[in-house]
Amino acid sequence: MIYREAGQFKTSYNSDQAILPIFQDRVAMVLMLLFAFVVIPIVANDYWLGSILVPFLVLSLAALGLNVLTGYAGQISLGTAGFMAVGAFAAFNLQIRIPEVPFLLAFVWGGLWAALVGVIFGLPSLRIKGFYLAVATLAAQFFIEWLFTHFDWFTNYSTSGVITAPPMKMLGIAFDNPLNKYLLVLCIVVLLAFAVRNLVRSEVGRAWMAVRDMDIAAAAIGINLMKTKLIAFGVSSFICGVAGALWAYVVLGTVEPQAFDISRSFEILFMVVIGGLGSVAGAFLGAAFIVLLPILLNNLGSLFTGGQVSTGTISHIEYMVFGTFIIFFLIVEPNGLARLWQIGKEKLRLWPFPY
Amino acid sequence: MIKSQAMEKINQKKHQVMRIQNVSLSFGGLKALIDVSLEIYQKEILAIIGPNGAGKSCMLNIISGIYTPEEGTVIWKGKKREKVAPHNIAKMGIARTFQNIALFTGMTVLDNILTGRNLLMKRGLFYEAMFLGWARDQEIQHRKKVEEIIDFLEIQAVRKVPVSRLPYGIQKRVELGRALAAEPELLLLDEPMAGMNVEEKEDMCRFVLDVNEQFGTTIILIEHDMGVVMDISDRVAVLDYGRKIADGLPKDVRTDQKVIDAYLGVG
Repeated sequence: MIYREAGQFKTSYNSDQAILPIFQDRVAMVLMLLFAFVVIPIVANDYWLGSILVPFLVLSLAALGLNVLTGYAGQISLGTAGFMAVGAFAAFNLQIRIPEVPFLLAFVWGGLWAALVGVIFGLPSLRIKGFYLAVATLAAQFFIEWLFTHFDWFTNYSTSGVITAPPMKMLGIAFDNPLNKYLLVLCIVVLLAFAVRNLVRSEVGRAWMAVRDMDIAAAAIGINLMKTKLIAFGVSSFICGVAGALWAYVVLGTVEPQAFDISRSFEILFMVVIGGLGSVAGAFLGAAFIVLLPILLNNLGSLFTGGQVSTGTISHIEYMVFGTFIIFFLIVEPNGLARLWQIGKEKLRLWPFPY
Repeated sequence: MIKSQAMEKINQKKHQVMRIQNVSLSFGGLKALIDVSLEIYQKEILAIIGPNGAGKSCMLNIISGIYTPEEGTVIWKGKKREKVAPHNIAKMGIARTFQNIALFTGMTVLDNILTGRNLLMKRGLFYEAMFLGWARDQEIQHRKKVEEIIDFLEIQAVRKVPVSRLPYGIQKRVELGRALAAEPELLLLDEPMAGMNVEEKEDMCRFVLDVNEQFGTTIILIEHDMGVVMDISDRVAVLDYGRKIADGLPKDVRTDQKVIDAYLGVG
């Protein structure tokens, strides 16, 4: 009843192909953006902004990047953190060598380098598929990590291999407090999410999905498989590269290869799988699940036990509950949280009436 | 081989679109096609029939460029066709459907048919990412064409349904729609009526005939239902063990001794 689109007649293909054709969706989107841009900055404290929301947004962005590749184009990748590292190091190196470059431009530069590297490591996808491709992209992960650890040029000959990220300043505004950083990251994430949503509903997105669903048929209707896959690798790695630069500059404040190890790649892959393959909302839901749920469990744990149980035991129980949740959600809906959300919306069309 | 006088006359008047000359193809020791020649004329409906394993699908794959013949040549519109990438075949104006439905299962009917028009669309990542200018205009423009096809195939009610939820007969129809979306000159249908009930077959026959008549598309189809083949095709070619054993009007092929032997076995 609440989510009923009856009576919303489309009189042009333009309005039928709008990004959110249903009125209720548009309202929900406006409310969500208002909440993120207005309510959260007023309500949230520095701890929430800096330690929870910013990492959540940056990892959502990385998950969004991987979702383009794995969810839409059907190419499994385990090199996500590697591409993030390329973005971070390219942005850092540009700013070190040419300090005048504004940091936003450095982020784009980082994204472009990540895209280039992604395309190169995407070349095996023309021959191999599925699990075999996943293993091949592991090469990207290990090679990039090795490269940044062993060649001092990338870390600007810093002795520890860990470097402080350059300060972010633009148009006289210094992005040095959690609120500014949060708004900056939010703007970038919203812009890129909008871009991805548009890409997947236009010509190139359909080509990706066609390659994912049935590559022989895709070739038979004139889709160039090689080009389509490589574009997917490029776009995906660009987004991951920007996410990597944000991770280094905004979240950690340092640029270090260890921040982009294999477990980060897996973490992002899990976000995509749990959130929902082939869905923009899924990237955000998955990231929320992986980032926010442990924090919630932690707080609940100490709240209920009231300091009676040792923190070590609580954190073990946390892990167990978290693992159970993952299995539970994967059994209930293997297509991810985004699919659950969609089913919920379909139920809302009728609710509270039986039909 | 049958070549009636009437047939010759028809052929002379018609324009030849494709000519396959002495094509052979083998997989290891298995000879799938042996020295087969076939002409395809504009605006005709040609049926390729034959017992299982006769090389029909192989023939279709050679025409659609998935296989390159080991010997022999394929001449498309008067020019010899060299080895081409499958995606370039579509650009030449050849579209096809598959024996087992090969739809994009994660997409809606609308998106499936729109994807069929991808090769007519422009690509520019920035404009598409912002959904600006020509990128939006082209979506709307092609949507109009797709709606025409949806009307033609009478699948308006399911246009926004993911294809995996549709019944088999409708899926076959969507696949035909996707092939039509590219506005092909030559349409290859690999068993379009397989597994259908009588009503669905009748519908599909009507669509095939209408496509041929309204759009002037040349159609090659592989089909096992002899009733359908004899009713709708202008010409029938018969393959058996990789060789072409007959080629002519349906009524002539039906009475050909070689064809009867191939289907029933020699007594």
